[in-house]
Amino acid sequence: MGRNRWNLPDLGFGIGLRTVHYSYILANHPPIDWFEILSENYMDTGGRPLYVLDQVAERYPVVLHGVSMSVGSTDPLNLGYLKKLKALADRTRAHWVSDHLCWTGVSGINVHDLLPMPYTDESLRYTIERVKAVSEILERPLVLENPSTYLEFGTSTWSEVDFLSTLAREADCGILLDVNNVYVSCFNHGLDPEAFIDRVPADRVVQYHLAGHTHKGTHILDTHSDHVIDEVWSLYRRSCRRTGGVATLLEWDENIPSFEVVHAEALKARRYRGLPGPDHQRAYGT
Amino acid sequence: MAPDLGNTQKWMQAVILHPGSDRQAVDSAEARKLVPPSRFPRLIRPSRTLDSFDRIGIYRGMYLARLQEALEADYPGLRHFLGRKRFSDLVRGYVDRYPSQSYTLNRLGDGLPEFIRSSPGIVRKDFLYELARFELLMSRLFDAEESPVLTPEAIAAVPPECWETARLKPVAALSVQALRYPVGAYLEAVRQGNPKPATRRKNHWAVVYRRQFALRWLDLSRPGYRLLHALVNGVPLGEALSGVLRGGRHSVGEVQLFSWFRGWVTEGLFQAIELEDPA
Repeated sequence: MGRNRWNLPDLGFGIGLRTVHYSYILANHPPIDWFEILSENYMDTGGRPLYVLDQVAERYPVVLHGVSMSVGSTDPLNLGYLKKLKALADRTRAHWVSDHLCWTGVSGINVHDLLPMPYTDESLRYTIERVKAVSEILERPLVLENPSTYLEFGTSTWSEVDFLSTLAREADCGILLDVNNVYVSCFNHGLDPEAFIDRVPADRVVQYHLAGHTHKGTHILDTHSDHVIDEVWSLYRRSCRRTGGVATLLEWDENIPSFEVVHAEALKARRYRGLPGPDHQRAYGT
Repeated sequence: MAPDLGNTQKWMQAVILHPGSDRQAVDSAEARKLVPPSRFPRLIRPSRTLDSFDRIGIYRGMYLARLQEALEADYPGLRHFLGRKRFSDLVRGYVDRYPSQSYTLNRLGDGLPEFIRSSPGIVRKDFLYELARFELLMSRLFDAEESPVLTPEAIAAVPPECWETARLKPVAALSVQALRYPVGAYLEAVRQGNPKPATRRKNHWAVVYRRQFALRWLDLSRPGYRLLHALVNGVPLGEALSGVLRGGRHSVGEVQLFSWFRGWVTEGLFQAIELEDPA
């Protein structure tokens, strides 16, 4: 069992379920520990995506990860969305449901981006109440991810990490620590990523995200388009020493290579967590 | 409620959605009402390398790029016909008038065919409208509920005297279409890399459906369309058949009818036979 506040399990090393890998997964049943699915891609379909998801959920542990909860928005919570999300979590026996500490739109509009919060007392109080309400509707703890951000509000009176940590404690939610996002945001804002990692409350961390990004010179974009860079691996190792290691997920969403390449990248995490490996050779007999 | 937070969010959204430059967006009437431009450099902190405009500009750029990518995935034929620039202009106009109101990008393009139909100045509007409608239909059928398929055993179990009033229930992922342009063939040609598929007007009829999770279409003759259209709309078999058998110059023989029916059942267009309640 994990060391987190809810004893949610350490699922091992997984990857995001992506359309381009459907056929491979169904045909080969690869030896992967678990899958994370993008919730919104499966909430309104009765076609192949749902069929594949049912097959995957039969065989592998599944976690739901969303991008549209908009928990920080001042619009009312979308109860229809949350109801469908809960139904999907029940259907897949999801171990937990995660989304981002962000807002995605107001006035009924969805910008379809993970927009940054001003880190103020007001938005902290507001978001705590929203997270509590969502957890009650979902009947499970919500897990929130630190997003990559490209701007900072001058009105912020909290650091992102302290805002997230206080929110997690006060609203009793988990943290999905995206190590790549820590690196990206800290670069973009001129902050120290190690100090960020060291201030995250270890007992709240339920899951890690790892991914590649695109360096534009003046800033970094979180594109999930490449291998994880060494600096991010180092931050991951640093955090694992504090948390003892929790479920770890490799994201790859642009220029997606073969399943085996993505899985091999995920399995590299074993080494940084101090486990024997990588296990890719053993898994595929190569 | 959280008025300051709400104000900040409304302002940021107004700036992201504004179609002009970063400076024009910050200076727009809607944004000004919420945050005076003089406050902008204090609201959005500059970084070591980017000023406040550059930083909000990242979100503005990603907004349109993301929506365009989503619509390209749903409308590959439209994108092919229009080319990069005209498609991009179409998307900009569309999302300016109809910003997304759904939690899923899958619904973003639902209004695009009507936007094309109602927008002035679009060249080949009739063709593009029908192409867009067809691509939207494909998206909907892709996500439709999976249905069971009618089995030979179910057909054999129908007493002969019940066929006259029986109704055939179509699978959920099916639509019968009367078309004025060869939009199905156009999409197929685009998929196969043909750079200049035919777009001339040509009345034709087709059934679009999903089988084993793959979208397909089957060309129909005009009477075949009339019959299948009647059946999928719940007309009893006897009535639907007599309509085709009495179809004037488009009437067909029983052999042809039997052949169609067998083909449609083989293709899995129906899920059940509903018999009239004897009571």
